[in-house]
Amino acid sequence: MNGWLLGLAAVVVVVVWLFVSYYNRIRVLENRVEEAWAQIDVQLQKRYDLVPNLVETVKGYASHEREIFEKVSEARSRLLEGSRQSRVAADAELSQVLGRLLALAEAYPELKASENFKLLQEQLEGIESKIAYARQYYNQAVLDYNNLITTIPGAWFAGGRKKKEFLEIPDEARTAPRVEF
Amino acid sequence: MGVRSFHDEQARNKRDSLLLLIVVGVVLFALILSISYLWDPASVYIMVPLAALITAGYTWGNYMFGDRIILSYMKARPAEGPQFTYLHNTVEGLAIAAGIPKPKVYVVPSEELNAFATGRDPEHASIAVTTGLLRRLDRLELEGVVAHEISHIANRDVQFMTLVAVLVGLAGILSNWILRSYWWGGSRRDRDERGNLGLILVVVGMVLAVVAPLVTRLVQMAVSRRREFLADAYAAELTRYPDGLADALEKMAALNRGNMKVSETVSHLFISDPNRSPLDALFSTHPPIEERIKRLREM
Repeated sequence: MNGWLLGLAAVVVVVVWLFVSYYNRIRVLENRVEEAWAQIDVQLQKRYDLVPNLVETVKGYASHEREIFEKVSEARSRLLEGSRQSRVAADAELSQVLGRLLALAEAYPELKASENFKLLQEQLEGIESKIAYARQYYNQAVLDYNNLITTIPGAWFAGGRKKKEFLEIPDEARTAPRVEF
Repeated sequence: MGVRSFHDEQARNKRDSLLLLIVVGVVLFALILSISYLWDPASVYIMVPLAALITAGYTWGNYMFGDRIILSYMKARPAEGPQFTYLHNTVEGLAIAAGIPKPKVYVVPSEELNAFATGRDPEHASIAVTTGLLRRLDRLELEGVVAHEISHIANRDVQFMTLVAVLVGLAGILSNWILRSYWWGGSRRDRDERGNLGLILVVVGMVLAVVAPLVTRLVQMAVSRRREFLADAYAAELTRYPDGLADALEKMAALNRGNMKVSETVSHLFISDPNRSPLDALFSTHPPIEERIKRLREM
């Protein structure tokens, strides 16, 4: 009789312990995904703030390249709106048009030589690679989270949580823009 | 892999650091006691609490300020100004990729190509690169090197390696000191007065004095080889481009003369041995550079 009770108590303790540890682990990974998104968000915001400076600088030397300025400001306006996926896609598009804008500088030696332009260019490139790294970290965090909640025993404790989506960039934005001179 | 693969290393390094602090604490305590006994047997009773206090203070100080001691010893300056924007961006990007806060960034004036990281945990970490490295490496190579240092930080290698650096230095000072005090103490007093306990303490002190620097040196060599390979592998994972680091290491092998003239006690912190040409592998705290390049090329 006592043996039965002890066995039962042991099972209860193990189940509770499993539940607590898996619940916490799922929560930790969930938080990590959110923290990873916050990193991307910060960089998108920085980029949003920085782009007008670059456009103004280039305008000072090449004011007639109207079409490309419009494309830049259109992609920029979508940077802070919509779903995570669409914001990252807008960012990839912005990278492409900015690549073309920066390539313009080749035709304007004075612009290319300006210290301000060089600094802006370095900052934009820095943000671009930071966004790429932040996306890499985000996707890794999502992978860890998805693995945990879809495999046993994590799946038993996931409480109907759904898999999170990876942040993919559209195919057409994946290749760096080709610049011809 | 990725984010999670750091965890085993972190746990191992936390355990190793704690162990190191305890072992060194005990050894230091024993050393202070034997020195005081040699000097004057009656002083032992006063020295017990004093030694405990000194030991605790010293280990705590090293844990808290080891990174600053090393940075100032290396004459590292904070990287400030627009010419370093590029370096800051690279460091910040890779810190984001590894999921740690951005470390502080320092520059060491030297024509050699080298870099190191230090600090007690990822929240209080610093990365330093030489000016020669900044000048000679392209962006992908620099990313490889910075990723290697970021891996050391995320793994908590730096915590352990910084402790080893300061404590190896201590072993040298202490063994010097104890041998000297034995010499003077022995000549001043008649040894028979001290009895058996005194003799044991003297022997222990002597053994410690000789063995401690050797042991710390061996620990330093053994741990840093394994850590270097691991940090290379994590760096490749962070940048997704192992060739960047491989190219950087090749440049170091070709250009470095091993004449940074830094103390042996900190040499294991560097990505490439600062005191020897990378082609000279004997007694090195680093795995042969060709072996590291080969492993990276195969990834």
